[in-house]
Amino acid sequence: MKVLRVVMLLAGFSVGSCTSDRGGASNDLLVVGYDREPDTMNRFSTHILEDIQTCVIEGLTVTDERMNVIPLLASEVPTLDNGGVRLRPDGGMDVTWRLRPGIRWHDGVPFTSADIRFTVEAINSPYYNPESTDGFDRIESVETPDSLTAIVKYREVYAPYALQFVRGALPRHVLAGRDIDGAQDYNRNPLGTGPYRVAEWKTGEYVLLERVPDYWRGDSLPAIRRILFRFIANTTTRINQLRGGEVHVTALVPWDKYREVKDIPGLSIHRMPGNSYEHVTLNERSVEAFRDVRVRRALTHAVDRELIVRSILDSLAPVIHGPIQSVSWAYTDSVARYDFDPARAKALLDEAGWRDGDGDGVRERNGKRLSFTLITQAGFAVRENVSQALQRMWRDVGVDVRIQLVDGTSISGLWFEGKFDAMLHWWHMPADPELTLFFASDRTPPSGRNINYVDDDSLTRLLYASDRTVDQNARRALLVAAQQRIADLAVEIPLYNVTRLDAVPSNLEGFTGNPTNAGIFWNVHAWRIKTP
Amino acid sequence: MLLVSVLVFALLHAAPGGPLSVYLENPGVRPEDIERLRRALGLDQPLATQYLRWLAAFVRGDWGFSLSDGRPVAERMLERAPATLELAATSLVMALLAAVPLGVRSAVRRGGWVDRIGSVAALTGVSLPVFWFGLLLQLSIAIGLGWLPSSGRSSAFEGGAADRIRHLILPGIVLAAVHAAAWSRYLRASMIGILSQRFILAGESRGVPHRRLMLRHALRNAAGPLVTVVLLDAALLVSGAVVTESVFAWPGLGGLFTEALARRDYPVLMAFLMVTSVAVIMLNLLADLAHRVLDPRTR
Repeated sequence: MKVLRVVMLLAGFSVGSCTSDRGGASNDLLVVGYDREPDTMNRFSTHILEDIQTCVIEGLTVTDERMNVIPLLASEVPTLDNGGVRLRPDGGMDVTWRLRPGIRWHDGVPFTSADIRFTVEAINSPYYNPESTDGFDRIESVETPDSLTAIVKYREVYAPYALQFVRGALPRHVLAGRDIDGAQDYNRNPLGTGPYRVAEWKTGEYVLLERVPDYWRGDSLPAIRRILFRFIANTTTRINQLRGGEVHVTALVPWDKYREVKDIPGLSIHRMPGNSYEHVTLNERSVEAFRDVRVRRALTHAVDRELIVRSILDSLAPVIHGPIQSVSWAYTDSVARYDFDPARAKALLDEAGWRDGDGDGVRERNGKRLSFTLITQAGFAVRENVSQALQRMWRDVGVDVRIQLVDGTSISGLWFEGKFDAMLHWWHMPADPELTLFFASDRTPPSGRNINYVDDDSLTRLLYASDRTVDQNARRALLVAAQQRIADLAVEIPLYNVTRLDAVPSNLEGFTGNPTNAGIFWNVHAWRIKTP
Repeated sequence: MLLVSVLVFALLHAAPGGPLSVYLENPGVRPEDIERLRRALGLDQPLATQYLRWLAAFVRGDWGFSLSDGRPVAERMLERAPATLELAATSLVMALLAAVPLGVRSAVRRGGWVDRIGSVAALTGVSLPVFWFGLLLQLSIAIGLGWLPSSGRSSAFEGGAADRIRHLILPGIVLAAVHAAAWSRYLRASMIGILSQRFILAGESRGVPHRRLMLRHALRNAAGPLVTVVLLDAALLVSGAVVTESVFAWPGLGGLFTEALARRDYPVLMAFLMVTSVAVIMLNLLADLAHRVLDPRTR
């Protein structure tokens, strides 16, 4: 029988674990296969996904599975309607955060508005180096009229204010007067208010979280006593551990592993649209031909995105038409679409003056061939396959494309310096649907991520107006117009949504997933293993 | 060593990307943040200044701080070294236990079934892609049969000696297989050379027992080249078996090196490569000394 199991496994079939010592997930222990070890547990300093930290440190707000901003340590999300947001005549803005009463840090000290003020001051201090100071650097002061009220005074209107404290706060009583970058006691084992605390961090191996005894939501929560995050960088090993029952949860299963995991007994693959999108960036600064909208539209018409999704992605990810994804409140599907139409692509290229004069299959204009290099990340099988499909499709309409595979670290450096022609990659979009950083004409590197180098005044005006609009309905109207303008200009070639695949035990209740950086553990307090 | 440090420093900084690349994927990290972090990490200084600062600190025993988590580099390396040494020692012993009997037997009974099977096994062992062999063992032994854990150095809630040994077996076998295959062939060739020498014939004619002749006289003389190869290979084992550690999620120096390389964590990479260089030099020296002790002709 065991020999048969081995043969089946080697042949690629999924079978359950045969060992009795590898217990399934239980309310005593849940084992998570995690692809990397955190650099630090300090949520303001880390540059790695915050899954583990999310279990320990809570924000004033959090984004739920539909990307709605909901209160967590705040008693409500401040808005214009509830009086929490006040636009000042001098162009500034006051946001009043009312904290949930009765919250205590894990050491028993009350969580107060003084912690909020300390956090803002620390992040804006020259002596601390957090990952980002975005938004904090627009705060001029924080007033704390009482222990449960913090009035955050912005110099200017800041639309994503509701997510300002999504990473929580730094404990003033622990970190005041200290070098936070060097405070390894906190950075390795942070004080939080969340359902878990760090019981052990064995470097290179795992982080063990254990339930706090008096969690503010009630003594019966969280239901799961311990969560063990095992660091398994190798994807195949991680999947093998899922198969063997040694780990119970793996977030972000790669698409090309879906077939291997979908039939593992006792496992569910939770699939949901992500807040990221795969696309081709066309660098207008580097390739003169890309400055012509007809060429950009032609390149988009030449790509059979449905075929790519069907054949390479197993239909796991839907084709998309713009940078804001369907999970966002700002999304619209009312934009120009460029369906697969090679004839139309050829006509547009002809119209733009690009013709194949010498019959070699590649178009030229003024003696210059329509040719460019597409860079993408090496070692990412799906992307390598998609880049080859794109190369073939563009070749069919007379465009010569060379593929260059670059390692993940190097590719970031290349795009940040604008040193590429075209790039196949994804953007992880912020939970707040800000597009300015990516498309405003003055946000080209090094000032931003407009690596298409698109320069359109009307688009830029729309984007900055949306950044200065607090009312969500009014802001949505501006962002819809911006999405339509981006599609009209065919600034980039949107391909497909980066759909999330999360592997969890079939008997896990309360799991919803989450498309944002909050990650799947955003509501871990509500998870429970259903026992027979 | 100075030349090595200059070369390594130059090569690391010539590679595209840098320590700040990891921040670029996050849209919340703005160009202002990148500039602030660049200054904070001293990356805005000219390369020569960065190198001289590193060198001045290194010679004083200060290996600097990791750009990834801000902890001292020495601390990060020391906490990973035991796992690597443990795996290296285990695979070394395993490989020798397999290679020596196989090499001796193959030489003594040339053309026999052990020799023929040994040849095939050695060819297979040398040709095996380590990652493939590792995954194969994981699937068959760990997951299929459930006899051993598939990865990691210990179980989270056990951690006893027996548990540690169970975790060592599969990665140890994978690392040992490659080396055992090569070493058995070295020893076989060396033994065949010794067996054709006159003193072996003289020993036989004087009635020295065969077993004693083979082990005490032939093997001792044939072991010189093998010891040299083993010590040179040991440098590679100690410096971290990157692929094996990755496949088995082994928390050793190989994994640290991979992480540091992806992160372009220059202080960690520099320290790792300098330690590796020292290890290679020391083991080379040791190999020379061992050869001198084992082979009187070289004295």
